[in-house]
This record gives sequence, C-alpha cells and structure tokens, in this order.
Amino acid sequence: MSARRILVTGASRGIGAALVSRFLEAGDTVFGCGRSAADTTHERYTHFAVDVANEEAVRGMCNTIRTAAGGLDVLINNAGVARMNALALTPPEDARQVVDTNVLGVFNCTHQGIRLLRKSPCARIVNLTTVAVPLRLEGEAIYAASKAAVESLTRITAKEVGRMGITCNAVGPTPIRTDLIAKVPSAKLDALVAQQAIPSWATVDDVYNVVEFFLRPESRMITGQVVYLGGIS
Amino acid sequence: MTREDIQGLVLTAVAGVNASRDADQQLPVTPDALVFGPGSPLDSLGLVGLLVDIEDALRDAGHEVSLSDSRAMSQSRSPFRSVPTLVAYIDELLASPA
Repeated sequence: MSARRILVTGASRGIGAALVSRFLEAGDTVFGCGRSAADTTHERYTHFAVDVANEEAVRGMCNTIRTAAGGLDVLINNAGVARMNALALTPPEDARQVVDTNVLGVFNCTHQGIRLLRKSPCARIVNLTTVAVPLRLEGEAIYAASKAAVESLTRITAKEVGRMGITCNAVGPTPIRTDLIAKVPSAKLDALVAQQAIPSWATVDDVYNVVEFFLRPESRMITGQVVYLGGIS
Repeated sequence: MTREDIQGLVLTAVAGVNASRDADQQLPVTPDALVFGPGSPLDSLGLVGLLVDIEDALRDAGHEVSLSDSRAMSQSRSPFRSVPTLVAYIDELLASPA
C-alpha cells in the first residue's frame, strides 16, 4: 500500500493521537489538528493548533495542506468533546460547545476536506461516533444527539460525494480508556461494557482496525455505513 | 480579474466537467449557456463538482473564493443558473472585501 496523506482532527490526545501514531507507523504522511499542541513529533507529521469549530481556521489549515501536499487521501473527523450530564443539569453553554465541536466541526472539516480529497484515487472520510447513540444513554443527551447528527452527516455526505469517488463512513467505539470519559463513574462504564455482545473494554487498535477497513482500496463500495464495536447495533 | 477572465475560467471548468460526462449529457460551453436548473442536464451533485472546480481555478489564479451560497440549489434564485449569472456572482464576490 502506498503512503497516504491523512488529516486527523482531535489529534492532540486520545484516539486521535493514537491513530496518528498508527498511520505514521504505516508510512503515511499525517496532518493533525487540535485545540492544544500535540506530543507527536515526526518528520511526516504536521500539527495545527486549530479548533475545528472555527471555519476560518479550518479553511486556513486546509489551504496549508493543499500547498504542502497537493491534497488529501483521508480525512478522519475524530475531534469531539463530551459533557456527561443529565439534560436538566447541562448548562446551555456546554450544549453549544458540544454541538459546535462535534457537529459543526465535522461539517467544517468535511466542507473543506472534500475539496482536498476529490482528486485522490482512493478518497476516504471516516467520522467518529459513539455507541451512546444506539444505546440512548441517559446522562449523555447532548453528546449522543451531537453524534446522531454526525451519523446523519455521514450517510448524507456519502450520497453527495460518492460520485466524486469519495466514501464516507463512521465508526462508533464502545468505552475506551481515554480522557474523554475520565470523569464518567467507572461503575457506569462497567455496566455499559457488560451489556455489549462482547463485554470487553475496547482499545484504540479496535478502532484502527475498522478505520483501516474503510480505508482499504477494496472498500470502494463501502459507504454511508456506521459500524459499532462490541456487538452494539 | 475582468469579467472576460472569469467567463473564460468558468467555460474552461464547464468543458472540464464535460470530459467525464456521457455524450448525451454534455453541457453547452457557451457564454449564455444554462448551468443549473430547468433545461440543464446538470443535477445538484454535478453542480457541486463544477463549483469546486471553479473554486480551484480561482485559487490557482490567486483568488480565495467560496462559492457556498444559501441560494445554490434554488431553482429560481440560484446564482448558478447560467454562465452569465455565475460570472456576475463571482465578479461580485471578488469585488467584495474579504
């Protein structure tokens, strides 16, 4: 497999940083963005301190990528924030931040990303969702709602860009030990894991496995799909 | 960039789109041609590809322009109805402050 040009959002830590690491190991040229700096340093890695909710900043980043690499082969919309709280106790400002990052962030990066991807012979968009959507987890209303929107974006984007040779899919991890869920009570997470068909904690490698499946050239007919880990459906 | 320059750029993009379209789905490459809407074989997804091609060409010419517009898919008010409306729209965008 030849080296790919990949943009990973939310690359500063967690799943995003881990995916960046895997792609670099695979020989890819990787661009990452996050609101904070990244620990990753590599000759094939470029990090942008960009908030995906900021349309102008995303546009600037994509223009820089266009100049540096001529385009992209893969866009991984991973950036996301979570505010685990009962809806009645969720501050409206928290709700707005979740929607800004999780929904508008995906929109902004896809809006610009399409322009970079469409000349790639194997163009792929992969969005990150969550099992909180199908499980309708209480205490995660705004987070799950934002990711439900991401799933709709995934399916409709797939229809709109299919003719350009771009696929768009999503992967929904079960709980993984990252900062995103660090404040969620462990008993709640254990109970969630226990109701999975495969009652185990997932790892970043499980996510990477699904992502790589979507990225394979042979997956050219796979689009508009949402794959959850752990047997959740 | 003059209107003639913009028109040339748009027509080049239309011709480029034709390269990947079937013979019976070709778009006319003329200064007064319809682009999108009744009477044009270009559907909404085809329009997206054309507009992104035009954005690319404008960027290559040193102009950062977004052709995203809330009226894009409107049958009656779209600035992308024809080559003349599209040229006028781009001219307006280039003249407006960034």
